[in-house]
Amino acid sequence: MYRGTNASAGIGIGKAVVIKEEEFIIRQDKAADTEAEVLRFHGALEKAGARTRALAAELAAKAGEAEAEILEGHLMLLADPVLTGEIEIAIQEEEVCCEYAVETVCTRYEAVFASMDDELMRQRAADMKDIRIRIQQVLRGISPVDMGSLPAGSIIVAKDLTPSMTAGINPAHVAGIVTELGGRTSHSAILARALEIPAVVAVPGIVDLVQDGTDMVVDGNEGAVLVNPPDAEKARYEEKRQRLLRQKKELESYIGRPAVTKDGVRVRLAANIGKPEDVEKVLLYDGEGVGLFRTEFLFMDRASMPGEEEQFQAYKKVASALKGKPVIIRTLDIGGDKEIPYMGIEKDENPFLGYRAIRLCLDRKEDIYRPQLRGLLRASAFGNIKIMLPMVTCMDEIQEAKALIEEVKKELDRENIPYNREIQVGIMVETAAASLMADVFAREVDFFSIGTNDLTQYTMAVDRGNDRVSYLYSPFNPAVLRSIRHIISCAREAGIKVGMCGEAASDPMMIPLLLAFGLNEFSMSPSAILGARRMITRSSVKELLAVADRVMGFTTAKEAEGYMREFIKCLV
Amino acid sequence: MVSAKVVIRNLTGLHLRPAGILCNKAVLFKSKVHFRIGNTTANAKSVLSVLGACVKSGDEIEFICEGEDEKEALDSMIKVVESGLGE
Repeated sequence: MYRGTNASAGIGIGKAVVIKEEEFIIRQDKAADTEAEVLRFHGALEKAGARTRALAAELAAKAGEAEAEILEGHLMLLADPVLTGEIEIAIQEEEVCCEYAVETVCTRYEAVFASMDDELMRQRAADMKDIRIRIQQVLRGISPVDMGSLPAGSIIVAKDLTPSMTAGINPAHVAGIVTELGGRTSHSAILARALEIPAVVAVPGIVDLVQDGTDMVVDGNEGAVLVNPPDAEKARYEEKRQRLLRQKKELESYIGRPAVTKDGVRVRLAANIGKPEDVEKVLLYDGEGVGLFRTEFLFMDRASMPGEEEQFQAYKKVASALKGKPVIIRTLDIGGDKEIPYMGIEKDENPFLGYRAIRLCLDRKEDIYRPQLRGLLRASAFGNIKIMLPMVTCMDEIQEAKALIEEVKKELDRENIPYNREIQVGIMVETAAASLMADVFAREVDFFSIGTNDLTQYTMAVDRGNDRVSYLYSPFNPAVLRSIRHIISCAREAGIKVGMCGEAASDPMMIPLLLAFGLNEFSMSPSAILGARRMITRSSVKELLAVADRVMGFTTAKEAEGYMREFIKCLV
Repeated sequence: MVSAKVVIRNLTGLHLRPAGILCNKAVLFKSKVHFRIGNTTANAKSVLSVLGACVKSGDEIEFICEGEDEKEALDSMIKVVESGLGE
């Protein structure tokens, strides 16, 4: 078995089709007639452009407009005045054939892009290479590898797939893709996922290990590749393939259905996101909103503070994409564990108990908090945004933040800028202090969201990153379970909504307990939503109340966890 | 010759898509359209040149237009950047 990076999920079983990289031997031939050579170059450009346009149209139909954009980019590069100008100059001044001029100019740009710091920019090197090969193919009269006519059950094996090669693939005939190069974010990986073809990338030496027709299995979940597997093994994978397909189909049947228990209790299943681009996933998996939008990404990996306008654009993008579904945006949750040079925050001796989140923001109102709140309020005119304050421990913090929000609202009124006047303000309940004060805080805010990762850490006084004590880090500890139950009941008593955005919200062993406690919203990574919806649809709160009673009677995490593990076995 | 400064607001900076929109606007004008960022000058009519300038979100660039329709060109370039370049 060979190991690589799992780039696109699913199992593929079939026969290898090896794509050999075309090796062009480019000689520095003298051009007899440079004018004619330039004309030949322009002719080749035109043909390469036509091939790309055809491919782009095909891909748009197969995988969607967004995927075809890669090829639209190639068209722009083919028409680029700087690129073509430099190639023309090379032909004329160095009096070389146009193959040589294309090769030297393009490879120079490939090297420039490949050396850039930015991952997205580095990928432009693959685009340059792709168009270079396409021009060379036209000049040589070679037709590109016809990916569209591969026989059914093909497993494509290649050193690397260029975007244009991937674009030509017929997903009905290609059972899997294996490459020696690339990563999860390379074009071919992204396209493989869009076309739902199982793929494993970064498998060293695979091209030399197989020939056309070799039996292969591609496990895109585990990142494994089998060459000439024994029949028994192949049968085992075929079974797994069928099972995965059935599961996928079954889960997809939950798209568009509400999360209602058998006895009619309706809850909301929302998504946790970290970047505006993640919205696509939320819509794909039918999230009923965003339960946690972390705003840290806006502040990381950069040289200066993001301005109000930039933040506004990011929040607006998410809010408008969700079309009125609630979007809970958490204000900056950052502290001394992350180094952000431009903020001038000193390293804390004890960052998780130190100067972070709401504490930092309220101390830096003018340069950090006010611009963020202004951006949030302005974006609230474009969707259903709710503001969430992180790491609250005392009433003063809530009141001070709310006062600042009111101040910003007045500012916007004076400037005649629209915003949602009824915008809801809630808090993360993730400290022992907030949990103990939950009944009081519930009267002061519009909603709660329980952050189980931090709640567990602060309740158990345990650093989960520390291997020697991480055994204590479990939300099934009776102390944490009691805390969660208490927070939920305080919220319900005060008549406010209570959600959970920690990992526990998608844990099948925890969901039954949370339903019994009365949680209103479960927020999780988008891909977990359909599984949670299936589980909730099959549960009955009435029956779960007895389960929760039983679990709350245990005195150790081990008993609680063990009981729930057995319980969900009979549920599924 | 006319020039003006503008800040790039796109979250990912001038990547392929926004760079393409910028260039498609620039080529509509007869004037030369360049922009300066730090010590680099990029040709706004060339995607390759724009990408090569490696402009990140929050960076300030200065457009420089030169030619018969330089004023309209400059106005349009500033506007297209401020509109978010399709994002």
